[in-house]
Amino acid sequence: MSSLRKNTCSGCGRPIAPFEAAVHFPCPECGDVTIWRCERCREMGKTYRCLKCEFEGP
Amino acid sequence: MARKKKKTEEPGKEKTDDVIEDFDEDFEIDFEEDLDLEEELDLLDTEDIKAGIEVKEEIIDKDEERKQLYLSCGIHIGTKLLTGDARRFFYRQTNYGLYVIDLTKTDERLKIAAKFLSKFVEEGSDRVIVTSIRRYGKEPVKKFCEVLGCRAITERFIPGSLTNPIIDTYIKDASVVVIVDPHADKVILHEAKLARIPVVSLFDTDDTLDGIDLAIPANNRGKKALGLAFYLLARQIMLELGKISSEDEFPHTLEEFTSKIVPVYRQEESR
Ligand SMILES: [Zn+2]
Ligand SMILES: [Zn+2]
Repeated sequence: MSSLRKNTCSGCGRPIAPFEAAVHFPCPECGDVTIWRCERCREMGKTYRCLKCEFEGP
Repeated sequence: MARKKKKTEEPGKEKTDDVIEDFDEDFEIDFEEDLDLEEELDLLDTEDIKAGIEVKEEIIDKDEERKQLYLSCGIHIGTKLLTGDARRFFYRQTNYGLYVIDLTKTDERLKIAAKFLSKFVEEGSDRVIVTSIRRYGKEPVKKFCEVLGCRAITERFIPGSLTNPIIDTYIKDASVVVIVDPHADKVILHEAKLARIPVVSLFDTDDTLDGIDLAIPANNRGKKALGLAFYLLARQIMLELGKISSEDEFPHTLEEFTSKIVPVYRQEESR
Protein backbone atom coordinates (compact mmCIF):
# COMPACT_ATOMS: atom_id res chain seq x y z
CA MET A 1 0.00 0.00 0.00
CA SER A 2 2.97 2.28 0.49
CA SER A 3 3.03 3.15 -3.19
CA LEU A 4 -0.36 4.75 -2.80
CA ARG A 5 0.72 6.89 0.09
CA LYS A 6 1.28 10.43 -1.05
CA ASN A 7 4.02 12.63 0.27
CA THR A 8 2.67 15.52 2.24
CA CYS A 9 4.09 19.01 2.52
CA SER A 10 5.96 19.61 5.78
CA GLY A 11 4.62 23.15 5.74
CA CYS A 12 0.93 23.07 4.93
CA GLY A 13 0.29 19.35 5.24
CA ARG A 14 -1.31 19.00 1.83
CA PRO A 15 -0.46 16.04 -0.39
CA ILE A 16 2.16 16.80 -3.02
CA ALA A 17 0.96 16.48 -6.60
CA PRO A 18 3.39 14.73 -8.97
CA PHE A 19 3.56 17.62 -11.44
CA GLU A 20 4.31 20.43 -9.04
CA ALA A 21 7.79 21.88 -8.53
CA ALA A 22 8.02 20.54 -5.01
CA VAL A 23 11.29 19.75 -3.31
CA HIS A 24 12.43 17.20 -0.79
CA PHE A 25 15.56 16.88 1.30
CA PRO A 26 16.67 15.34 4.58
CA CYS A 27 15.85 17.42 7.65
CA PRO A 28 18.82 19.77 8.04
CA GLU A 29 18.91 19.25 11.79
CA CYS A 30 18.35 15.54 12.46
CA GLY A 31 18.75 14.17 8.94
CA ASP A 32 16.34 11.33 9.72
CA VAL A 33 13.14 12.72 8.26
CA THR A 34 12.53 13.67 4.65
CA ILE A 35 11.15 17.17 4.44
CA TRP A 36 8.77 17.81 1.58
CA ARG A 37 7.79 21.30 0.50
CA CYS A 38 5.01 21.90 -1.95
CA GLU A 39 5.56 24.36 -4.76
CA ARG A 40 3.45 27.01 -3.13
CA CYS A 41 5.00 26.81 0.32
CA ARG A 42 8.45 26.90 -1.16
CA GLU A 43 7.71 29.78 -3.45
CA MET A 44 6.28 31.80 -0.61
CA GLY A 45 8.97 30.93 1.89
CA LYS A 46 6.52 29.26 4.26
CA THR A 47 7.80 27.58 7.39
CA TYR A 48 8.26 23.82 7.42
CA ARG A 49 8.65 21.74 10.52
CA CYS A 50 10.37 18.40 11.12
CA LEU A 51 8.09 15.95 12.84
CA LYS A 52 10.94 14.30 14.66
CA CYS A 53 13.27 17.04 15.90
CA GLU A 54 10.92 20.00 15.44
CA PHE A 55 13.45 21.91 13.41
CA GLU A 56 11.82 24.87 11.72
CA GLY A 57 12.99 26.14 8.38
CA PRO A 58 13.83 27.63 5.99
CA MET B 1 35.67 62.62 19.52
CA ALA B 2 36.63 59.05 19.90
CA ARG B 3 37.50 58.77 16.25
CA LYS B 4 39.90 61.69 16.33
CA LYS B 5 41.68 60.23 19.31
CA LYS B 6 42.05 56.93 17.59
CA LYS B 7 43.51 58.56 14.55
CA THR B 8 46.31 60.20 16.43
CA GLU B 9 47.05 56.98 18.21
CA GLU B 10 47.48 55.13 14.97
CA PRO B 11 49.80 57.01 12.69
CA GLY B 12 49.69 54.27 10.09
CA LYS B 13 46.04 54.92 9.42
CA GLU B 14 46.30 58.61 8.60
CA LYS B 15 45.44 58.11 4.97
CA THR B 16 41.73 57.81 5.72
CA ASP B 17 40.08 59.99 3.12
CA ASP B 18 36.92 62.04 3.02
CA VAL B 19 34.76 59.20 1.86
CA ILE B 20 35.58 57.21 4.92
CA GLU B 21 35.20 60.30 7.07
CA ASP B 22 31.57 60.53 6.00
CA PHE B 23 30.93 56.99 7.02
CA ASP B 24 32.43 57.74 10.40
CA GLU B 25 29.85 60.37 11.13
CA ASP B 26 27.12 57.88 10.47
CA PHE B 27 28.44 54.98 12.35
CA GLU B 28 30.28 56.47 15.25
CA ILE B 29 27.60 56.45 17.91
CA ASP B 30 25.92 53.46 16.48
CA PHE B 31 28.45 50.84 17.07
CA GLU B 32 30.06 51.92 20.28
CA GLU B 33 28.59 49.03 22.20
CA ASP B 34 29.03 46.43 19.50
CA LEU B 35 32.21 47.09 17.73
CA ASP B 36 35.31 49.06 17.72
CA LEU B 37 35.01 51.78 15.14
CA GLU B 38 37.97 50.41 13.27
CA GLU B 39 36.13 47.17 12.96
CA GLU B 40 33.01 48.88 11.86
CA LEU B 41 34.90 50.53 9.03
CA ASP B 42 35.96 47.12 7.92
CA LEU B 43 32.37 46.30 7.24
CA LEU B 44 32.39 48.96 4.62
CA ASP B 45 35.48 47.38 3.17
CA THR B 46 37.63 50.34 3.92
CA GLU B 47 40.25 48.39 5.79
CA ASP B 48 42.86 45.88 4.93
CA ILE B 49 41.95 42.28 5.48
CA LYS B 50 44.51 41.67 8.14
CA ALA B 51 43.67 44.51 10.47
CA GLY B 52 40.31 43.28 11.60
CA ILE B 53 41.25 39.66 11.94
CA GLU B 54 43.60 40.42 14.76
CA VAL B 55 41.61 39.89 17.90
CA LYS B 56 42.71 42.51 20.30
CA GLU B 57 41.26 41.30 23.55
CA GLU B 58 42.42 38.32 25.44
CA ILE B 59 40.62 35.22 24.37
CA ILE B 60 38.77 33.53 27.15
CA ASP B 61 37.52 30.40 25.46
CA LYS B 62 36.51 28.94 22.12
CA ASP B 63 33.02 30.40 22.20
CA GLU B 64 34.36 33.82 22.98
CA GLU B 65 36.96 33.44 20.25
CA ARG B 66 34.27 32.55 17.77
CA LYS B 67 32.13 35.47 18.83
CA GLN B 68 35.04 37.85 18.46
CA LEU B 69 35.69 36.49 15.00
CA TYR B 70 32.07 37.04 14.02
CA LEU B 71 32.13 40.58 15.35
CA SER B 72 35.43 41.48 13.77
CA CYS B 73 34.16 40.39 10.36
CA GLY B 74 30.80 42.06 10.81
CA ILE B 75 28.85 38.95 9.90
CA HIS B 76 26.01 40.25 12.10
CA ILE B 77 25.62 43.59 10.36
CA GLY B 78 22.41 43.69 8.40
CA THR B 79 20.90 46.41 6.28
CA LYS B 80 18.55 49.30 6.89
CA LEU B 81 15.66 47.12 5.78
CA LEU B 82 14.03 44.32 7.70
CA THR B 83 11.71 41.96 5.89
CA GLY B 84 9.05 39.93 7.66
CA ASP B 85 11.05 36.80 6.91
CA ALA B 86 14.18 38.23 8.49
CA ARG B 87 12.43 39.00 11.78
CA ARG B 88 13.16 35.55 13.10
CA PHE B 89 16.90 36.15 12.82
CA PHE B 90 17.08 39.72 13.94
CA TYR B 91 18.62 40.90 17.19
CA ARG B 92 18.11 44.65 17.40
CA GLN B 93 18.06 47.90 15.50
CA THR B 94 20.76 50.48 15.95
CA ASN B 95 20.05 54.16 16.51
CA TYR B 96 20.76 54.77 12.86
CA GLY B 97 18.26 52.25 11.70
CA LEU B 98 20.61 49.44 10.79
CA TYR B 99 19.31 45.99 11.69
CA VAL B 100 21.64 43.65 13.51
CA ILE B 101 21.47 39.89 13.06
CA ASP B 102 21.32 37.58 16.09
CA LEU B 103 24.76 35.96 16.17
CA THR B 104 23.57 32.89 18.03
CA LYS B 105 21.27 32.17 15.09
CA THR B 106 24.05 32.68 12.57
CA ASP B 107 26.22 30.28 14.54
CA GLU B 108 23.46 27.72 14.89
CA ARG B 109 22.51 27.87 11.23
CA LEU B 110 26.10 27.66 10.00
CA LYS B 111 26.44 24.38 11.87
CA ILE B 112 23.11 23.05 10.65
CA ALA B 113 23.93 24.04 7.08
CA ALA B 114 27.31 22.32 7.34
CA LYS B 115 25.65 19.14 8.57
CA PHE B 116 23.12 19.39 5.77
CA LEU B 117 25.64 20.10 3.01
CA SER B 118 28.07 17.45 4.21
CA LYS B 119 25.56 14.77 3.19
CA PHE B 120 25.44 16.13 -0.34
CA VAL B 121 29.21 16.53 -0.51
CA GLU B 122 29.60 12.94 0.61
CA GLU B 123 27.24 11.68 -2.08
CA GLY B 124 29.07 13.57 -4.82
CA SER B 125 30.77 16.86 -4.23
CA ASP B 126 30.70 17.84 -7.92
CA ARG B 127 26.94 17.82 -7.77
CA VAL B 128 26.97 20.56 -5.15
CA ILE B 129 26.66 23.90 -6.95
CA VAL B 130 27.93 27.01 -5.19
CA THR B 131 27.42 30.37 -6.77
CA SER B 132 27.93 34.06 -6.21
CA ILE B 133 27.18 36.90 -8.54
CA ARG B 134 28.29 39.36 -5.89
CA ARG B 135 31.91 40.22 -6.45
CA TYR B 136 33.03 39.82 -2.85
CA GLY B 137 31.48 36.39 -2.88
CA LYS B 138 33.42 35.05 -5.85
CA GLU B 139 36.69 34.32 -4.06
CA PRO B 140 35.07 32.70 -1.03
CA VAL B 141 32.97 30.52 -3.33
CA LYS B 142 35.98 29.48 -5.43
CA LYS B 143 38.00 28.60 -2.36
CA PHE B 144 35.13 26.71 -0.80
CA CYS B 145 34.74 24.64 -3.96
CA GLU B 146 38.47 24.06 -4.25
CA VAL B 147 38.59 22.72 -0.70
CA LEU B 148 35.51 20.50 -0.95
CA GLY B 149 35.46 19.61 -4.63
CA CYS B 150 32.18 21.37 -5.30
CA ARG B 151 31.25 23.16 -8.48
CA ALA B 152 31.66 26.94 -8.41
CA ILE B 153 29.75 29.32 -10.64
CA THR B 154 31.21 32.78 -10.29
CA GLU B 155 30.75 34.11 -13.78
CA ARG B 156 27.38 34.86 -15.27
CA PHE B 157 24.98 32.01 -14.72
CA ILE B 158 23.85 30.82 -18.14
CA PRO B 159 20.06 30.46 -18.07
CA GLY B 160 19.09 26.85 -18.57
CA SER B 161 22.17 25.45 -16.85
CA LEU B 162 19.96 23.62 -14.37
CA THR B 163 16.92 23.10 -16.53
CA ASN B 164 17.87 22.66 -20.17
CA PRO B 165 19.71 19.41 -20.99
CA ILE B 166 20.48 20.47 -24.56
CA ILE B 167 22.75 23.39 -23.72
CA ASP B 168 26.50 22.97 -23.18
CA THR B 169 26.54 24.40 -19.70
CA TYR B 170 23.83 22.06 -18.45
CA ILE B 171 24.71 20.51 -15.11
CA LYS B 172 23.36 17.03 -14.82
CA ASP B 173 22.28 15.72 -11.45
CA ALA B 174 22.87 18.85 -9.40
CA SER B 175 21.96 17.82 -5.86
CA VAL B 176 21.93 21.10 -3.96
CA VAL B 177 22.53 24.76 -4.74
CA VAL B 178 24.24 27.21 -2.40
CA ILE B 179 23.76 30.91 -3.10
CA VAL B 180 25.04 34.07 -1.48
CA ASP B 181 22.26 36.51 -2.18
CA PRO B 182 18.67 35.67 -3.13
CA HIS B 183 18.34 38.99 -4.99
CA ALA B 184 21.56 38.85 -6.97
CA ASP B 185 21.40 35.11 -7.62
CA LYS B 186 17.75 35.09 -8.57
CA VAL B 187 18.19 33.36 -11.93
CA ILE B 188 19.75 30.28 -10.39
CA LEU B 189 17.23 30.45 -7.55
CA HIS B 190 14.43 30.27 -10.09
CA GLU B 191 16.02 27.38 -11.96
CA ALA B 192 16.63 25.45 -8.76
CA LYS B 193 12.94 25.77 -8.10
CA LEU B 194 12.00 24.40 -11.52
CA ALA B 195 14.58 21.63 -11.26
CA ARG B 196 13.43 20.79 -7.71
CA ILE B 197 16.86 21.20 -6.23
CA PRO B 198 17.15 22.28 -2.57
CA VAL B 199 18.62 25.74 -2.02
CA VAL B 200 20.82 26.92 0.84
CA SER B 201 21.35 30.66 1.01
CA LEU B 202 23.03 33.31 3.07
CA PHE B 203 20.28 35.53 4.28
CA ASP B 204 20.48 39.22 5.07
CA THR B 205 17.88 41.37 6.80
CA ASP B 206 16.52 42.67 3.49
CA ASP B 207 16.02 39.26 1.92
CA THR B 208 12.94 37.10 1.64
CA LEU B 209 12.79 33.35 2.06
CA ASP B 210 10.98 32.76 -1.23
CA GLY B 211 12.44 29.70 -2.90
CA ILE B 212 14.99 29.08 -0.15
CA ASP B 213 15.05 25.80 1.76
CA LEU B 214 17.67 26.61 4.35
CA ALA B 215 18.75 30.12 5.30
CA ILE B 216 21.94 31.16 7.06
CA PRO B 217 21.42 34.60 8.56
CA ALA B 218 24.49 36.67 7.77
CA ASN B 219 25.76 39.86 6.22
CA ASN B 220 26.01 38.90 2.55
CA ARG B 221 27.56 42.10 1.22
CA GLY B 222 30.70 42.59 3.28
CA LYS B 223 34.01 41.28 2.03
CA LYS B 224 35.10 39.89 5.36
CA ALA B 225 31.69 38.61 6.32
CA LEU B 226 31.46 36.58 3.12
CA GLY B 227 34.97 35.24 3.61
CA LEU B 228 34.17 34.16 7.13
CA ALA B 229 30.87 32.53 6.25
CA PHE B 230 32.46 30.26 3.64
CA TYR B 231 35.54 29.62 5.74
CA LEU B 232 33.45 28.42 8.68
CA LEU B 233 31.12 26.47 6.45
CA ALA B 234 33.99 24.67 4.74
CA ARG B 235 35.72 23.92 8.04
CA GLN B 236 32.55 22.62 9.64
CA ILE B 237 31.78 20.40 6.64
CA MET B 238 35.28 18.92 6.85
CA LEU B 239 34.58 18.19 10.51
CA GLU B 240 31.24 16.61 9.69
CA LEU B 241 32.88 14.44 7.06
CA GLY B 242 35.57 13.38 9.52
CA LYS B 243 38.32 14.72 7.27
CA ILE B 244 39.63 16.75 10.18
CA SER B 245 39.11 15.93 13.84
CA SER B 246 39.32 19.44 15.25
CA GLU B 247 38.90 22.99 13.98
CA ASP B 248 42.61 23.56 14.42
CA GLU B 249 43.40 20.89 11.86
CA PHE B 250 41.71 22.82 9.07
CA PRO B 251 44.63 23.58 6.77
CA HIS B 252 43.32 26.85 5.36
CA THR B 253 43.21 30.41 6.61
CA LEU B 254 40.43 32.93 6.68
CA GLU B 255 42.47 35.14 4.39
CA GLU B 256 42.46 32.47 1.69
CA PHE B 257 38.68 32.64 1.77
CA THR B 258 38.49 36.42 1.64
CA SER B 259 38.25 38.45 -1.52
CA LYS B 260 41.36 40.41 -2.42
CA ILE B 261 39.44 43.05 -4.33
CA VAL B 262 40.36 46.56 -3.30
CA PRO B 263 37.45 49.02 -3.25
CA VAL B 264 37.62 51.62 -6.04
CA TYR B 265 38.22 54.65 -3.84
CA ARG B 266 41.10 52.82 -2.19
CA GLN B 267 42.72 52.26 -5.56
CA GLU B 268 42.39 55.96 -6.31
CA GLU B 269 43.88 56.76 -2.95
CA SER B 270 47.05 54.86 -3.66
CA ARG B 271 47.61 56.55 -7.01
ZN1 LIG C 1 2.82 23.27 1.37
ZN1 LIG D 1 14.54 16.75 12.02
